[in-house]
Amino acid sequence: MSKFPTFDTSKSREMFERATKVIPSGIYGHLGPAEGQWIPVSKWPSFSEKAQGSYFWDVDGNKYIDYMCAYGPNVLGYNDPDVDAAALKQLQLGNCTTAPGKIMVECAETLVNTVACADWAFFCKNGSDTTTLATMAARAHTHKKKIIFMKYYYHGDFPWAQKIDYPGITPEDVANNIIVPWWDLDAIQKAYDDNDGDIAGLIAQPYDHGNFKDNEPATKEYWQSVRKWCDDHGVVLIIDDVRAGFRLDLAGSDHYYGFKADLICFCKALANGYNMSALCGGEHMKSTVSGITYTGSYWMSAVPFAACIACINKMKALDTPKMFRELGTLVTDGFKKAGAEHGFDLVVSGEPALFYLRIANDDSLLLHQEWVAECVNRGLFITSHHNHFINASLTREDINLSVEIAEDAFKAVKKNHPELR
Amino acid sequence: MQNLMDSKTLAYINMFAVLGTLENLCELVPEASELLQGKKPISIGFEVKGGPSATIYFKNGKCRMEQGCFNCDVKLPFSSCEKFNGLIDGTVTPIPSKGFTHIGFLLKTFTPLTDLLSKYMRATEEDLKDPVFFERSTMLMLYTIGVAISQIGNNDQVGKFSAQSIADGSIYLGIKDGPGVEIVCKDNRLLTVKKVPEKYRSSMIFESIEVARDLFDGKVNALDCIGMGRIEMHGLVSMLDNVNRILDRVALYLA
Repeated sequence: MSKFPTFDTSKSREMFERATKVIPSGIYGHLGPAEGQWIPVSKWPSFSEKAQGSYFWDVDGNKYIDYMCAYGPNVLGYNDPDVDAAALKQLQLGNCTTAPGKIMVECAETLVNTVACADWAFFCKNGSDTTTLATMAARAHTHKKKIIFMKYYYHGDFPWAQKIDYPGITPEDVANNIIVPWWDLDAIQKAYDDNDGDIAGLIAQPYDHGNFKDNEPATKEYWQSVRKWCDDHGVVLIIDDVRAGFRLDLAGSDHYYGFKADLICFCKALANGYNMSALCGGEHMKSTVSGITYTGSYWMSAVPFAACIACINKMKALDTPKMFRELGTLVTDGFKKAGAEHGFDLVVSGEPALFYLRIANDDSLLLHQEWVAECVNRGLFITSHHNHFINASLTREDINLSVEIAEDAFKAVKKNHPELR
Repeated sequence: MQNLMDSKTLAYINMFAVLGTLENLCELVPEASELLQGKKPISIGFEVKGGPSATIYFKNGKCRMEQGCFNCDVKLPFSSCEKFNGLIDGTVTPIPSKGFTHIGFLLKTFTPLTDLLSKYMRATEEDLKDPVFFERSTMLMLYTIGVAISQIGNNDQVGKFSAQSIADGSIYLGIKDGPGVEIVCKDNRLLTVKKVPEKYRSSMIFESIEVARDLFDGKVNALDCIGMGRIEMHGLVSMLDNVNRILDRVALYLA
């Protein structure tokens, strides 16, 4: 008898069917069944009813301990009282106003005082807004055209950041993208030479945290060599810290890896779920960014700025990067041990704060997907294709519970696979 | 241009995915095998300058296609991919360079056979009301689409980009408890085998033949079907992501 009975998700399925009638594909994007890898869909919750701390409850009333954290934004815990109080206070003063709330300046000052490479901050709403602005700034600054990307890149879903074979994308949308492998300075040099030096910028995540693959942390030596190459060739170095930002280092993931980006993009962990993003950069890029035409209806809304300030201050007080490293290591050590006890080779990769999991007993992810489904259907929300996220409300008790559920799920998968005995 | 078909890719599709489906037509549709009954074994070669070449061998009510055009009884040369594509859309009448004595087979057997294939591949709503016809037509489409995926992945500019991101191994594309195809990827080249694979790294299974049909006809979207559980993906889904991008172009070429 399983210690953790599997969940009934029938109301989730009903809600999803209802959604498909009025929303394309029901839930689009990374939170939905296709990109979110709900395999099989019957074991996944579709919509949530409420959330608190490290947990959310689905529409069937099932409770999940959440290691995806809304794919990053939940950095302090859902409904963090300090962040919510700051946001509510600002809401009562004003939010989306003709003259931006003065808190916008305070928020920019907070970022400048926190992020090592930041002399200024430009606010938007989503990660894509900032990566787009960063590439525009690189072009405006250098008067050059092409951008170097690292293989397995993801810099949002705006057309320039997609690929030629994606629906709705034209060759012209991606004509200025050059893709090089990670960790290969020669390839970067070759791309530069092949394009007669017409390279405006190099955009990369701080390390290779691509999906469907083991994640590979960077080294300081690698980044320092890339930094030097960019300086030598007049190429703007853009770090897309949308995913990893503030989880490795509150001063920015470039700081964590011992270098300074020219431009750095933040979003997810910036305001604990309040909708904002920021592009930060060095003084030498400020004038260029000042000259770019770029704005949005809600980009200067004041409530997220208040949330951001509260969130950053609390992350500093808690030293969340240190906490995330410790908690990430603790939970993944527990998962690995539980897997090994049942004959599963669970590979953990990437930075502990954003750990990636893969069962390596087969080369197809079939066993891994089965295990992930059993975990999710018992209340441990993880994914089979993407890195995970730690949040600051996660306790040792939560981790013990997570490992227990993982162990129960390993047992269930093993039962279905006599060949593993 | 991404949104335009290139005639060379279309020629490969027409050769291996469309004419290649004659193999399955003869297996699935008695009317097709009856057309071949009592006929002496014969082979027809198609040689397209700057494009594909293949030979169809007809024997005992069945046929099989092989790559290349070497020892055929009848040889149909085409001076360009466009000319060969004209054969398939009915605007070009081929002239054999070899095997004039078999012209009767071409006119009285081969042409009715391809007409029959067209009937199943471009089925009318009326024909599809017959459940047997519906099943056969959908199975033939599955084989055609399965082979077209490989041809696009190997030849089309955008398709090749997708294939570059497919890991080595087998992909199983099929209908639950029904027919399927195996798409084998090796060094970013694709090869379709028209049977259910024993081992695979990823799979995309349609819940029913009706779901497959709706998807093939463009009545439903794959992402919608995945969400509703009507299509199940398993395994190394990144392989399927790229196959799905090629599938998007199959619709363009086979429209």
